[in-house]
Amino acid sequence: MDTPQLIPQLTPQLQFSEDYCIGRFNAMASPCEVLMDTQDPVLAGQLAGIAQREALRVEHKLSRYRQDNIIHKINHAQGAAVKVDEETAQMLDYAAQCYALSDGRFDITSGVLREAWTFDGSDRIPAPARIKKILSRIGWHKVHWRPPKIRMPKDMQIDLGGIGKEYSVDHTVLLLREAAAISCLVNFGGDIATTGPRRNGNGWIIGIETPDASPATLNANTKVYELQHGGLATSGDARRYLLKDGVRYSHILDPRTGWPVQGAPRSVTVIAGTCTEAGIMATLAMLHGDQAEAFLDQQGVKYWTIRA
Amino acid sequence: MQLKKSLHAKKTTPVKKPLQGKKPLHVKKPKSISGALATATCALLGTHLPHPAAASEPFKNWEYDSALLYYSEQDRVTAVEPVISARNDMGNDQFLNFKFVVDALSGASANGAVPADKTQTFSGPSGQKSYSVAPNETPLDPTFEDTRFAANVLWEKPTSRYLKALLGANFSTETDYTSLGVSATFTYDANNKNTTLSAGASFSHDTVSPIGGAPDPFTEVPTSSTSGGENEGDDDGEGGEGEGGETKNVTDLLFGVTQVLSRHTLTQFNYSIGQSSGYLTDPYKLLTVVDPVTGDLVPAVDPNNTYRYLHERRPDSRTRQSVYWKTNHQFTDDVVYLTYRYYWDDWDVKSHTVDLRYRYELGRHHYLQPHARYYQQTAANFYRYYLVDGEPLPQYASADYRLGDMTTTTFGLLYGAELGKNSEFTFRAEYMKQSNQGYPADAIGKLRDYNLSPDVKAIILQASYNVKF
Repeated sequence: MDTPQLIPQLTPQLQFSEDYCIGRFNAMASPCEVLMDTQDPVLAGQLAGIAQREALRVEHKLSRYRQDNIIHKINHAQGAAVKVDEETAQMLDYAAQCYALSDGRFDITSGVLREAWTFDGSDRIPAPARIKKILSRIGWHKVHWRPPKIRMPKDMQIDLGGIGKEYSVDHTVLLLREAAAISCLVNFGGDIATTGPRRNGNGWIIGIETPDASPATLNANTKVYELQHGGLATSGDARRYLLKDGVRYSHILDPRTGWPVQGAPRSVTVIAGTCTEAGIMATLAMLHGDQAEAFLDQQGVKYWTIRA
Repeated sequence: MQLKKSLHAKKTTPVKKPLQGKKPLHVKKPKSISGALATATCALLGTHLPHPAAASEPFKNWEYDSALLYYSEQDRVTAVEPVISARNDMGNDQFLNFKFVVDALSGASANGAVPADKTQTFSGPSGQKSYSVAPNETPLDPTFEDTRFAANVLWEKPTSRYLKALLGANFSTETDYTSLGVSATFTYDANNKNTTLSAGASFSHDTVSPIGGAPDPFTEVPTSSTSGGENEGDDDGEGGEGEGGETKNVTDLLFGVTQVLSRHTLTQFNYSIGQSSGYLTDPYKLLTVVDPVTGDLVPAVDPNNTYRYLHERRPDSRTRQSVYWKTNHQFTDDVVYLTYRYYWDDWDVKSHTVDLRYRYELGRHHYLQPHARYYQQTAANFYRYYLVDGEPLPQYASADYRLGDMTTTTFGLLYGAELGKNSEFTFRAEYMKQSNQGYPADAIGKLRDYNLSPDVKAIILQASYNVKF
């Protein structure tokens, strides 16, 4: 959600493949697609439309660049309590639980660290004093969350972008499942979930890119996974990092220290019951740094990590 | 799987105080949070989320199809046929299909005799009801009435990623006919699912128990209830009952290949070969014996009977083969379905069938589907309109118009509407015209003036409703 798509395409582009149909659109600053196990263009158009509307709805609701949504209202309440809608309340509950389960590694108030860190490949490492100052504005435990009201210190901010895309993928799956009894694969910028196996009994084949894979090397450097149920998400530092004195600073920031996590894999891909779970697992694994694989092994999930 | 387990777990996740480290912390041994996370995700997305659970709950996901067919031939047979079928998604891509059909038939059907300039009297199949046919009319047996019940079950089970088995059993019964059958079909997906090969076999064992017993072929047909009842009862009662009815075995083999040609076009080619053996004769069909010069009816040999009619006789085996080709093509919205079938058997019946349907989308989940079908058949080598008095009897003979030269054209229109997400309604109306070769060039005497096999016209109406639960 770094670059908002303010003028989205109004209707998804449909493309027919051998025995399925792909609907494409842009949302949440990512290319989004829905693969539908049908050749019926009317149905495919309807389903892709459902996915697009849902992606844009969640983007609109959770974007921290907008001034007309609940996130803006919470972040600009100046210390006053804000009553939130049920869906936002559920997401805040979820964020609270992730905060607890991760011993503070996953913290939706950590976004203010971006004021100091810009991962543009340069060597601009912020001064420790500055980080220290920002840290005082971070910490979910400082937020007063009594559903449906949230109140937080006026210099703090929340950002649900860390779970928003995965959430919208899973929510789209629910909507598609209600709309039609055909198998669909929802892929919003690499966060993926399926409604279930395809007509032929197979899952959807997903290529898992290595960070350096280019389209030309896709076949050679791609791991292939057949997704029948559930979701998949990838967390990776891609090309977002800082480099100073030979030290690579990944964009994975530990909200407890304000500094990048050391020894994190280049990317983590997790398969789980839902895309949201997979996304959290992948994020938490990154936050475990060199213990990422140990963490994932402990969770008993299927995963791939790539280390440079 | 995790989701399913945690679905019933209580949502109690203690909120622990986070570590407030100021410098990179020493990483503790990771702990498992997947269960709690799954619970939390369930709460976030709603409890109806875990779909994998649905797959492990067989007999929950049903799809029902119901249809009512009305078939009415002009002046002849009328059939009302309700059908109910149910398909159950047992999970793991296994399906169980059930189908029940009731067929209520009534009306008149041609008994095989030729028209004459005299009133003709026949006894019905029961040997009790007799009926008369006015001069110059095609003899139709009006006592035709039966109800058939049929049930079949089909189990679809994938045996591997590429191989699927379809195992079926069926049963049907009516007053004088019972059929029991089993079938097995295997499909194999190749070439990245663009090609599907299939091979199947089916076998059925049928029992025919004609009312009053199976008549002996080429024996004289009783023409009045008194004579017929006694005569037939004596002759055939013992034989028929003693054997518990006549039997017929039918074996069929099918080989097919389905190929995806492009993302809009699919084609299929099947070859099938089948063998029927046993009692293949129609016990209710007869042949008129006519005068070799005038074409008139001839007096019966049995003094109790009026004119001479003989029961038909067919071979006791029939080998059938057919090739079938189907292509579906989707345009932007509409779909065209074209099929062609060529059939041939060792009775020398050969037929061509061309069937064309075009699904025209009206939008908003409505569609119209015009249908045209053309069927053309050549006669069986033992088909004849009548037998000639004084000529030696052929080995086999039947005057059943269904074995004669025939051309059938059907035109129809189907309207379909999707009612909501999970149900569909269709209504179909069709008109069928069967043209037979009614004026054979070699007809004898006054038979030249009669249509020996008049056209049959029928209308077909069908309403169907499909719903998923």
